Amino acid sequence: MIVSRTQKAGFSLYAGLVLLVFYFPILCIIVASLSKRRFFSFPYAAEDMTLKWYADALQSPQVADFVGVSLRIGAVTAVASVAIGFFSALAYARYRWRGRQTFQRLVLLPLFFPQSVLGLALLMWFNFLDLTTAWWTAAIAHTVWIAPITTLIISIQAYGLDESLEEAARDMGASRWQILSKITLPLLMPGMISATCFAVLLSWGNFALSLFTTGADSALPEWLYARMTSGYQPMVPAVGVLNVIVAIVLVIVLFGIVRWTGRKARRAAPSH
Amino acid sequence: MDESAAPILEVASVTKRFGKFTAVNDVSFKIRDGEFFTLVGPSGSGKTTLLRILVGMEKPTTGELRLRGEIINDLPPNRRPTCMVFQSLALFPHMTVGKNVEFPLTIRGASESDRRTRAWELLKLLHLDPNRYYDKNVSQCSGGERQRVALARALAYDPEILFFDEPLSALDARLRKMLQKELKDIQRSTKKTFCYVTHSLEEAMVMSDRVAILRAGVIEQIGMPDEIYASPKNAFVAEFMGEVNLLDITALGGASATWDTGRKTVPLALPELPVPLEAGAKRKLLIRPESLRFLAAGEHAGNTVPVKILNEFSLGSRIQYHVEVCPGCTLTVERLREERTAAAAGVLGWELADSQVLES
Amino acid sequence: MSVRTPKKTREFGPGFFGALASSPFGLLMLFGFVAPLLCVVWFGFMPPKTFELLQVPTLQNYEVIFNQTYFKSILWSLGLAAVTVAILLVICYPLAFALAKIFKGGASFVTYAIATSLFVSENIRLFGWVIGFMKNGVVGGTLAKLLGVQVDSLLYNVPVIILGMVYVYLPFMLFPLTLGVKMVPDQVREAAFDLGANRWQVFKKIDLPLSMPGVLIGSLLVFVLSVGAISEAKILGGQKVVTIASDIESEFTYAQNWPLGSALSTLFIALTAIVVFFALGRFDLEKLLGKKSNE
Repeated sequence: MIVSRTQKAGFSLYAGLVLLVFYFPILCIIVASLSKRRFFSFPYAAEDMTLKWYADALQSPQVADFVGVSLRIGAVTAVASVAIGFFSALAYARYRWRGRQTFQRLVLLPLFFPQSVLGLALLMWFNFLDLTTAWWTAAIAHTVWIAPITTLIISIQAYGLDESLEEAARDMGASRWQILSKITLPLLMPGMISATCFAVLLSWGNFALSLFTTGADSALPEWLYARMTSGYQPMVPAVGVLNVIVAIVLVIVLFGIVRWTGRKARRAAPSH
Repeated sequence: MDESAAPILEVASVTKRFGKFTAVNDVSFKIRDGEFFTLVGPSGSGKTTLLRILVGMEKPTTGELRLRGEIINDLPPNRRPTCMVFQSLALFPHMTVGKNVEFPLTIRGASESDRRTRAWELLKLLHLDPNRYYDKNVSQCSGGERQRVALARALAYDPEILFFDEPLSALDARLRKMLQKELKDIQRSTKKTFCYVTHSLEEAMVMSDRVAILRAGVIEQIGMPDEIYASPKNAFVAEFMGEVNLLDITALGGASATWDTGRKTVPLALPELPVPLEAGAKRKLLIRPESLRFLAAGEHAGNTVPVKILNEFSLGSRIQYHVEVCPGCTLTVERLREERTAAAAGVLGWELADSQVLES
Repeated sequence: MSVRTPKKTREFGPGFFGALASSPFGLLMLFGFVAPLLCVVWFGFMPPKTFELLQVPTLQNYEVIFNQTYFKSILWSLGLAAVTVAILLVICYPLAFALAKIFKGGASFVTYAIATSLFVSENIRLFGWVIGFMKNGVVGGTLAKLLGVQVDSLLYNVPVIILGMVYVYLPFMLFPLTLGVKMVPDQVREAAFDLGANRWQVFKKIDLPLSMPGVLIGSLLVFVLSVGAISEAKILGGQKVVTIASDIESEFTYAQNWPLGSALSTLFIALTAIVVFFALGRFDLEKLLGKKSNE
């Protein structure tokens, strides 16, 4: 297809515009986080710039608590949802079985479900079971929502799996378990690593589920929400920016790992 | 084919570069009204790029395309009165056979009854029973049926020139041969100009009025299939025609030369040439497998060489031999089955007139 | 030569392993999805302002709901979600097309840039708009400085809520759409052009129908997410608009009326479920994710 230069330039301009609008709020937060005044107003003088709020945020034991809670929830969620996702991806994409189509639809259900309602439902359920809500109940809630996502991500890899490799291993006498651990698992590794990344990151940013399920513990997005709805507070933008920075660092580190394992896998694969 | 027929499409010095790579290099030729013209070349020869330029999906870097004398370089494909059958066929997967065939008519805003009538005509022309196929989904059609649907759809566009990008290459040999003949019949009965692209010279020979042979973005030879077969312009064209013997020779002046087999040199006599070769000139000598024969004791030929038979392959009524002149240097011979006894003697010969001296 | 006697193993069909592999997920769903939802539905039939599940069921909550103006917040939620979907389709289709068919190296840059935002809590990003639009905010301040126009707060109205929803859910529309547009084979588009179709006709007759799975998934995802949204209306909208999700939330928090909140949730879930099942039944997911199924 001929794509003329003007067309390409037009589309690039459009994409640039969308990205600009998309990052505008984040720019706003950065600007606000550097303002010394208690009540933000724009534009402000250069001498009003300060890193004070960042220092405050980093020293605040409260903020450290929230980060700790968020990270704990993220870690547990990632491990649980990737482990479950591995098996359900096999059921989703690899094995032919009678319930497969139904299963494929069911997997999506939690995704197509309003998170706030799911959070409330879990709150009542935990209450009924007499479980005191805390960070680990939030991890359960996150897993319910993230396990379908890890399933889908690993499924994409499982679709690309060359079935004849498993058959060849079986032909050479490997048991079901050996095939799973020595062939299938390593081949699905790149998918599982990106699924881990997604799980950690989505859990890190999640708010709607945490709101109802963390109980006395509070995750970072919750704390921010509470502060935001109760008027402007100068430390909020700084914490927000720190949150964004952590997310970006996580993205870079984790996707670096994906790239690296991907390259390793490609090197191991026979070249055509 | 009438030699004086007016050109419908004129390609004048067309060049296409992608960065530093030149895919099509200063190509010029004319396609005549109503002929079946075929571009043949191995993969990477630039034939597909050239075709995409002809239909308007790529723009030439330099050069001109003239359709009936009018320059059409800048005309996008949807405004050219030409149309292409893709290698992948590019049938619309979300439409039935009927809707696929009607597509160009729908675009033109034809009434529903007109569209339907035309689609039925075309399906019938292509031996697809409209009652069965009109409402069939294209994904349920077999390879051959899909070919026919693609052709019907292209014909519904009523193009001045119909282009083909190796649409038959994915089919099995039997079906391919059958469709080649059908395609030729349809071209004759519709009197449309067809321009076909393929990597198989054999396929080109079956269908075409004229053939152009492409190598590395340059046209090597253009002409009627018989012409090309009888006198290939150079070794590339000769080799492209299938299994032939091409001997590396060095002229010694006059009608004699030596054949450099790599291990040793064999003295040979050359056929008569309009301009004799200078001594030391390097050329290729073309001898077709069927021009070589085994000599019985006392028989004579223009050139003779002793050989050892390595292998025999049955081709049905004929037998193909791989024979060795010296280690690492083999020739291919094809003889009738009846002549089998002569082979035992191990002397191979050919008449001078059956060999051709070619540029390499 | 010794022949190993084959060990007697019970041969399981592939169905057994499929069911086995799906069981951890199944158990998770039973515990973390099905049971809580049943709990909600059951709680909706408990007498108002109680916290016990083991009481005699009653329809009081539903009477309250139908006698009051909750339908307004349901309509607001549905309306805002529908508008968000429509706007996002228009914004995202050209971008998805560019990502799938036009950009080469640039596509992954745009993809990463937008995907990264998924991992920043939506509250933070919405708060950015608050800073941008509040009185003396970034937009107002810039306008005052450059044009001398004094603008009051641009917040707390319906368009800003919609902007917030469009903004937060853009990735959920963009990525499925891009997958959808990628499914349209280049040669099929070229063939349509070649057969005389113009750009608009190719879009209408080829691009749109063939990318429909992506369009549907994206729309559905955005619809469901935005119909249950709380933050946008609260953070950007003040109390201008009350959505059903915030109604539900306040029943659980301020009003401490769990049964009424549950009944509202049940109604809301039923409404969304109808929309989702209607849409999900119409296409094959496998086509979008991997192998084409009818080949």
